[in-house]
Order: sequence, then C-alpha cells, then structure tokens
Amino acid sequence: MPVKWVLHWQPNQGSTVSSQILNEASQCVESINGVKEGRWKATLNYYKPILKDQANQSEFPRDFLGISLADEPDKYYFIIRSQRIVVEADTNIQSIMEKLQSYKSKVALYFEGFQYQLGDFRLRVGKVVPTHSENVRGIVMEVDYLPISSIKTANKLMEEFMEIWHEALAKRSLPGKFVNIDINFEEYGLGDIYTPQHTAVRYALVMAHMIATVQAVRG
Amino acid sequence: MECVVQGIIETQHVEALEILLQGLCGVQRERLRVHELCLKSGPNLGVVTSDVRLLCDLDQPDPTWTVKHVGGAMRGAGADQISVMVRTMIESKVSKNSLRMFYALGYKLDHELLKVGFAFHFQRTAHISVSVSSVNKMPKVHAIDEAVPVTHGMQIVDVTAPATPENYSEVAAAVSSFCEFLAPLVHLSKPFISTGVVPTAAAAAASLMSDGGGTTL
Repeated sequence: MPVKWVLHWQPNQGSTVSSQILNEASQCVESINGVKEGRWKATLNYYKPILKDQANQSEFPRDFLGISLADEPDKYYFIIRSQRIVVEADTNIQSIMEKLQSYKSKVALYFEGFQYQLGDFRLRVGKVVPTHSENVRGIVMEVDYLPISSIKTANKLMEEFMEIWHEALAKRSLPGKFVNIDINFEEYGLGDIYTPQHTAVRYALVMAHMIATVQAVRG
Repeated sequence: MECVVQGIIETQHVEALEILLQGLCGVQRERLRVHELCLKSGPNLGVVTSDVRLLCDLDQPDPTWTVKHVGGAMRGAGADQISVMVRTMIESKVSKNSLRMFYALGYKLDHELLKVGFAFHFQRTAHISVSVSSVNKMPKVHAIDEAVPVTHGMQIVDVTAPATPENYSEVAAAVSSFCEFLAPLVHLSKPFISTGVVPTAAAAAASLMSDGGGTTL
C-alpha cells in the first residue's frame, strides 16, 4: 500500500474554515496539473459508552472512534487514541457493536471531496461535514506516494512534494495552512510498512487536532 | 443468523465419527485448535450486560482472530416446530489486538476455553460446518499449554450453517437431514437440550472401524 499523509487545514487566528478554502485547494491541485479522477468519501463515528450511572464516565475511553476508509470498503477501523490502540475489522463489526448496546455512535462525520492523479502522487481534497448537515467543520487532504510502501523511504519525497504544494497554495493568500502531524506509529504497534491502520491513526490525530483548534478559538 | 445443533460423543468413538463424516462430506477434514475468550461487559457498561466472544485460530502459522456475537434463539410456535436452533449470529475478522481494545472498552474476561479437534466444511443445500472437539479449560489465565479437558472422555459435536431470515427454513431442513446420517453415533439437538450419548454408538463405531466405513448403517 502506498505511503499516505493526511493533512488538515489549520486556519489562522481569527479566521474560520469554509467551502471556499476547499474550492481554492482543489483549484490549486488542478493548477499544478492534477487530473481529477472522481469523488472519494470516508466516514468517522465517535462512540460514547451507554452507562447505568453517568458518574462512572471516567472509567471509559472518551476518544473511542470508528472509521471507514475510502481505500478499504470492506473494512472498519477502531481507534482509542489515549491508549494507542488501533484495530482493523470487517465492516460488520458495526453490527456487532449495535447488538452489544454498550457503545453508541453519537457523532458521525463525512470526509468527502475529489481525488486527483499527479504523476506518482494521488491527492484527495475534502471537506469534513456532520452527516446531517452541510456545515463545513474542516478540510483534509490525503497525499499518497504510490511507488513506495516504506514510511521512512518515502519521507523525503513527501516533504519535497509538500514544499511544492505549499508554494503553489501560497499564491492564493489563504488564511491558514495545511498541516501534517508527526506520528510515532510504533506506539500503536505499527511498523514502517504503510497499512490502512496507519491511515486510521492519522485520521484520529487529525480529528483531535481539529477539535483542539475549535476549542482554542472558542476559548 | 445461523442454524445450530449440538451433541456429545465419547472420545473412543470419535475416530469412527471421523470416518463417517469423511464419507458423507466428501471434503478434507481441517484441524481445529481455537482459543475462545468469552468477554462480558463490566457492571456499569450498557443498560444490560452484553457478551462477546473472541476466537483465536491457533492452527494458522500466524494466529487469526474473529469476534463473534451470538444472540437469542428464535422463539415461538414456529421455532418449536424446527428441530434446530435458529439464532442471530454475527462474526467479523479482527486484528490481533482486539482483546486489548475490548478490555479498554470495559469488557472483562468471563471464561476462556481451548477447543481441539477437527472440522468439515461442505455444501449440501446449505453451507454446513461440522466440528468435533474436546473442550478444555485453563488453570491460569491464557495458559493454553496447560489446558485440561472440561469433561474427560467426552467431546462435543457442533453442526452449524449460516442462514438469513429468508432462507432459515431451508437451511434448518438441510441441517436436520444431514444430522440423521450421524444418528447412529451422535444425537444432535438444540444446544442446552442434551439428549446424552447414543447407547448403541459402540456397535455402530465398531462396524465403521472394521471395514473403514463401507458398511451402510
């Protein structure tokens, strides 16, 4: 599987995220000769425990989330970030969770947008929206380097690509930037060869950063 | 959803049962060595207690994991008329750290078993699986190598077939029909309704063993 970075849009202090940023980012990809291939979509669910006594909430993880990825339609991924746990399962694990009635999906988000081919890279730019709303909560960008599966080997090439990307985007004078999060995948029991579980962890970290950004703005 | 029947057989007759199954199923037998961990939700979690099973297939070079939820059996007049149990069942393959995840979610280990034996998987109207295994318990947590039989000299026979709400009648009939062939050696019935061993199993087993299964029972 190709190495993937998942970047998220970090707005400047005082500015907000909107569809306009997504449009600008998409146009920027096309301006560097990205060829539009089609749409992509991922879904993320936050799970909360169903408790007899709410006072015991702290006994249970607050960051238990599940995600279905565009590249793996038959799989579902669970992440408990605070405990560095990532699990891959078949999609019907969601039916098992429903039957157990111990955790319930409280918030669901879509990541959706367009996918582009750009030489040895595949780019996806998308908005983050709640499932029953058009309110844009964030912008994400996936960058795949197709020829290589080793994270260490691909690192330099990814950084070089990101320099080109940042340069192209800077011309549009947008109020923010795309940020990549450095992750120690070993803490999650993941190795150097890239897998969908790495992507699941990346999305969990992106969500944590996006929430932190929103809370900082509100604070 | 699945159709299920179970029975018990004395270990001394298992070889004869294997010969019979080999002849009936027409497929190669597969080894069975499964570590089954039965988890229960902690006291505060969920409106009602929930159970989930993690199955680790130890027969693979790299053990593979499955999570399984077994639901309630179908009830009512319709269910009473079917000789097999029809119940909800959902299985999903999972990666190896799923036990750690369920512990983190508030599930506790209720009990664990090691099932060792063999299984046949074949198609006969429905996709039927027959497993014959000794059920072993562990003196210490996860001590697979120290497992001892729960009941010496006895093994469990499980016959299962996946089903849907649309086809469970046909699947139940296929399972029932297949079970009749095993009747000389093992009585198969709905789980938790034991009918004991077959009193004439010894004679049937002797017949099978003497001519390698060529005799019609």
